[in-house]
Amino acid sequence: MSIMDPADFEYLVNHLEQEGDLKDSIREVVADLEKRVRTMTAKLSKVHSTPSSEIPSLVKSVLSTLDPCKESTAAIAALIPPNQFWRWKDLWARHLQSSVFVMAFCEYLTSGGLITLQTCSSNLGIKEEWKDRFYLQAEDYLQGIITMINELSRLAVNSVTMKQFETPFKISQFVQDVFAGFSVLNLKNDALRRRFDSIKYDVKRIEEVVYDVSLRNLNDPNGGNQAPNVA
Amino acid sequence: MVALMEKQEIINTFDAMRVQFDENNDRKERLIKLSREVTTISKKIIFLLHRVLTDNSSQEEENKKKRSDGVRKADPLFADIRKLFTAMGQEMQGDQFWRYVRSISPGLQEYMEALSFAYYLEHHALISYQKAQDTIKREDGTICFPLPLSDYVLGVSDLTGELMRFVITSIGRRGEEGIDPLAVAVFVRNCKADLEALVPHVRDLQKKVDVTVQSLLKIESAAYGIAVRGAEYAQFHHGSSGLDFGGGEDREAEDRWH
Repeated sequence: MSIMDPADFEYLVNHLEQEGDLKDSIREVVADLEKRVRTMTAKLSKVHSTPSSEIPSLVKSVLSTLDPCKESTAAIAALIPPNQFWRWKDLWARHLQSSVFVMAFCEYLTSGGLITLQTCSSNLGIKEEWKDRFYLQAEDYLQGIITMINELSRLAVNSVTMKQFETPFKISQFVQDVFAGFSVLNLKNDALRRRFDSIKYDVKRIEEVVYDVSLRNLNDPNGGNQAPNVA
Repeated sequence: MVALMEKQEIINTFDAMRVQFDENNDRKERLIKLSREVTTISKKIIFLLHRVLTDNSSQEEENKKKRSDGVRKADPLFADIRKLFTAMGQEMQGDQFWRYVRSISPGLQEYMEALSFAYYLEHHALISYQKAQDTIKREDGTICFPLPLSDYVLGVSDLTGELMRFVITSIGRRGEEGIDPLAVAVFVRNCKADLEALVPHVRDLQKKVDVTVQSLLKIESAAYGIAVRGAEYAQFHHGSSGLDFGGGEDREAEDRWH
């Protein structure tokens, strides 16, 4: 015999089961988004062995998968009940962050600038009227940017290996500017703060590459691979 | 603007984000503080309720009134909690509720424990989810915020621990009247059965159910003790429980042991 009124107990069980079902449905749709994002990140990883002249076509190829992502975001938004964005966002946060990384990296490779949150949002087809159910939240945007910085420090190293000696200098300036932006935030001890702390190492690595290159005048179109200029 | 090209543009954008982040963090802090206050008052209520004495007279109506009066003493404290809920509701409007619900969860569960304890003492039954939700109201009767099912369930499972304490304490108080351990054992046993059905759906419920089982064993032990040593526990003479320990002559039997 139940201590709860049978109708009450029914209500609880039904409600909890419905929540479970909704979670499963959301997961299914998020899996589609994940596949599309993985396709983009996989293609993008080739940048570390792509000469500068071929980067625009690589970027074009990567971004061709961006439009289909709009289907995924619309499908997710359709499932979320009103005002419950924060209840379910962890189910897709990681993939949204990855997509920001892809967009931000491609924008940098194209224009050398930092893509805005609004642009990322509209590239993903996110509509204003979804704002209590599904949107690109500031922290997810920032997580994506941090991933881009991690990748840029790798690119600085690898571009030198590919004998593209100008690249590290451009990367260095850009990353320092973005890092200065991050330093303005008052972060609490959460996931974002921990990842922010890791950017320091990327900054350091890029500086080392810049130092190595300038020391040997590798970026000098006239000289190059001379003995280090130590007096 | 598609991309930010200048350092100053970047700094300005991050500055705007800083303002947003600061607001959110401050709000979270305020809610955590409110939750702690709810917890403190709820604990006071629980201690107060433990001190409620029930007199097992032959008139069930009289007993009911004594319990009721005792529980009424907690009313002003519940009113204080409602004020805190109103303040919380202000901070968590619209889609913000689910953003900060984890900050207030501990307070909510402690409140559920106090609420369901008080309800049980008055009605000898479990407060329904709907009634519990109805208590989270403003002065004008509107709901402050939704009560998450999980906090309701987790709070109820904590109730069984309090009932266990209540039973054990009343048995320990000789000369004072307590609550019928057998009835409580039945209640807790059924609680546990219901909660187990909900375990797959509510995170952390399994641990609480394990604690409930421990409490149940203690209550069953106490009920057994009374059944076996009936003469010494004359104060539990209670027509409705079906355990008849006899009337006044038990006190003589008791004296024989001293």
